[in-house]
Amino acid sequence: MSVVRIRLTVFALIIINKAGGLIYNRTFHEGLNKVSTNDLLVLAGTFHGVHAITARLNPLKHLQGSGVGPGNRSSTSSTISTAVPGSTQPAPQHQQTHARPEPPSGLEVLETENFRMQCFATLTGTKFLLFTDTTQANVDLTMRRVYDMYADYVMKNPFYQLEMPVRCDMFDRKLGSYIREINNR
Amino acid sequence: MVVYSFYIFDRHTECIYSKSWLSPAPTSSSSTTTTTTPSGPTSDTHPPLPSSTTTAAPTAAAGTTGRRSAPTTSASSAADNDAKLIFGTVFSLRNMVRKLGGEDDAFVSYRTAHYKLHYYETASNLRLVMLTDTATLSMRNVLHQIYINLWVEYVVKNPLSPVEHKGGAGVRNELFELGLEQFIRGLM
Repeated sequence: MSVVRIRLTVFALIIINKAGGLIYNRTFHEGLNKVSTNDLLVLAGTFHGVHAITARLNPLKHLQGSGVGPGNRSSTSSTISTAVPGSTQPAPQHQQTHARPEPPSGLEVLETENFRMQCFATLTGTKFLLFTDTTQANVDLTMRRVYDMYADYVMKNPFYQLEMPVRCDMFDRKLGSYIREINNR
Repeated sequence: MVVYSFYIFDRHTECIYSKSWLSPAPTSSSSTTTTTTPSGPTSDTHPPLPSSTTTAAPTAAAGTTGRRSAPTTSASSAADNDAKLIFGTVFSLRNMVRKLGGEDDAFVSYRTAHYKLHYYETASNLRLVMLTDTATLSMRNVLHQIYINLWVEYVVKNPLSPVEHKGGAGVRNELFELGLEQFIRGLM
């Protein structure tokens, strides 16, 4: 049984804070243009705005006018009815007022001819941009690991100030070795 | 595969064609619109459209009845705003991609949790944008086909069509509309 090797090259990682400021950027592999820090700051700010607009452009937004789309509504009502089969008390309308609407989600994947950018926005608004090559590989997993590392080595660092540039040795080292492992696979 | 809407922007960044395949938004004020007089939009210079599904910016409510005029004008202004937002997004992303990936790189598509946007730009800076559902694969060749088989055939080769399509002039002809409608219906 041959295992298909999924090749994946990670070019760079950028972290943008909730105000649109660039707080971390690192290049792991040649492939993208060299961009000056000043331009990168501009890019981060631009992307922050574009991300907000892409969330608003949803063509199905009028179907989700009350915050709950038709698909969500059926799924929530079915899960609720299976969860409490005996009780007759909860009325469906009463539950819909309690159902929390899906948070609006902006751009997740951007594809171009030369690279692919995966964007992960946390609930608090921090955005992780991972630049990889165009082959469709398991970027979600990589992103998840990067986020784990961010939580472990940046957020748990007592000297790190929130929303400020990330300068944590541990994070740099762990991230570097993890991405090197992926790029050399 | 579902196609939500389609836009064409010219090199002057103007939206010269837009079409939506979505059912119009159910507005809550639909009951009150029966009392409004059939005033229609102020810019009624264009002839009525053959297809009522077209939400082209200035001409949407030209041939409709008074009962429908109010929701369609609000929908057309919403579509107009959407077109502007889409152009801004696409323009910013294209410049970003060029800065990062080099001058020869081209922005192809982006995807959110709810929809996917496909982009194709010709050498003459004509930009074609299509919004589809998230499961759709790359529509780059579809947009290219629309450019070759519909735009070039029915708009560029039309001797009556102006060179610059100010306000969508010359684009909204019957053959182009029909061809696009058939092409997209064939995809869906």
